[in-house]
Amino acid sequence: MITNFAAFDLHVSIGSQTIWTIFGVPITNAVVTGFFGTLIMVIILFYAAGKVKHGKYNRFVGLVQWVFEGLLAQIDSIIPDAKLARKITPLAVTIFFSVLVNYWLSVLPGLDSVKINGVPVLRSVTADLNFTLGLALITMVTVQAYAIKHLGVLRNSERYFHNPIKDPIGAFEGLLELVGEVSRGTALALRLFGNAFAGEVLLIVIALLSSYASTVVLPVFMGFEIFIGLIQAYVFFVLTLIFTALAQSSHGPDEISPHSPTAALQTVAKQE
Amino acid sequence: MLAMTQFAAASNSLFGVLGIDWKLLLLQIVAFLLLVWLLGKYVYPWLLKSVDARKQAIEDTLEAADEAKQKADKAEKEVAKMLQKAREQAADIITTAKDEATAAVENAETKARQHAETIVSNAQAEIQKNISAAKRELYNETLDLVAAATEKVTVGALAKDSLDEKLVSSALEDSKS
Repeated sequence: MITNFAAFDLHVSIGSQTIWTIFGVPITNAVVTGFFGTLIMVIILFYAAGKVKHGKYNRFVGLVQWVFEGLLAQIDSIIPDAKLARKITPLAVTIFFSVLVNYWLSVLPGLDSVKINGVPVLRSVTADLNFTLGLALITMVTVQAYAIKHLGVLRNSERYFHNPIKDPIGAFEGLLELVGEVSRGTALALRLFGNAFAGEVLLIVIALLSSYASTVVLPVFMGFEIFIGLIQAYVFFVLTLIFTALAQSSHGPDEISPHSPTAALQTVAKQE
Repeated sequence: MLAMTQFAAASNSLFGVLGIDWKLLLLQIVAFLLLVWLLGKYVYPWLLKSVDARKQAIEDTLEAADEAKQKADKAEKEVAKMLQKAREQAADIITTAKDEATAAVENAETKARQHAETIVSNAQAEIQKNISAAKRELYNETLDLVAAATEKVTVGALAKDSLDEKLVSSALEDSKS
């Protein structure tokens, strides 16, 4: 088995592989697949919007509308401010559809077998850290922008920075909050990347291991990957909303969160 | 300085292994933001509008249903009120009718009684009158008979004794007939 495995010359690359370079910018296999994924998504959404605009409905448009309505209901339930909910809608919904379509492209047959200059052409853009990191950066910057707009620059910075002499616990708490923000963004990027990348590798490995039986075995794993893709898109979408809602509801410097260490210490002091 | 250079080199190699390329990252970010703008401008407003329209339609329907329910409740209350009023009116009418019927019966009875009494009294008066008339007639006839008898007796006595008998008997026969 191991000999067969080696005979296939399985090469797993964490980073996406460059096919061409245009003006010094590497065009990787993930970018190519991502372009087609985005194109499919844009066509689907423009088609649905066009039909809705002209009041011509069919089952497919109904499906897109149903998904959109569900996402909208989720946004409204997570973000209490209706205006902010509407503002964050384009970003959150685009993240959902983008991740969903691109993740599902990783299930396409021909993964790792269709090659140009020895480089596989198909690689889901969700299995490329440049994309997932980019999405996470956009999410975190947007969250900070809305937090600054809502709380103001000073109050927002007070979430992270306290005078360590006056309020050492608060300063430590702020530091933890800052680390938390960075870790949230990183986790957001790595979670999606890890799942998509592992999914692709899993499909390749299962295809190699099952050999001729892969015709029967692979569809099961493909179905599983489709399900995971839906989950990942939903998780990214919901986390974007939760981070936005958290930044909005952050307490001021004078208020103490009932779950914070400061509040816990105060409760203990009162009991004593 | 050497440590910093080493750290930069290490981080560069780490990013390289992970496939992170700053140009590519920037390109992806710009492309995604463009996508968000494009969809936010030309796609989502229509989908949002349709969702809002549907929500509005549902709200309107619920409102209309609520309004209809309130109207139905109001109408039901009014009907109940009207029924109550009608029952009261019917009860009044029945009571009045009963009273009036009783009064009418009593009145009719009184009138009938009076009429009967009048008839009876009239009949009695008539009978009395007839009796009086009969008495008077009988008296007159008796007088006439007596006078006739007397006249015949007187005339017979003057003529013959046998004639007296004949006269008396004929007078008696006349009176009988």
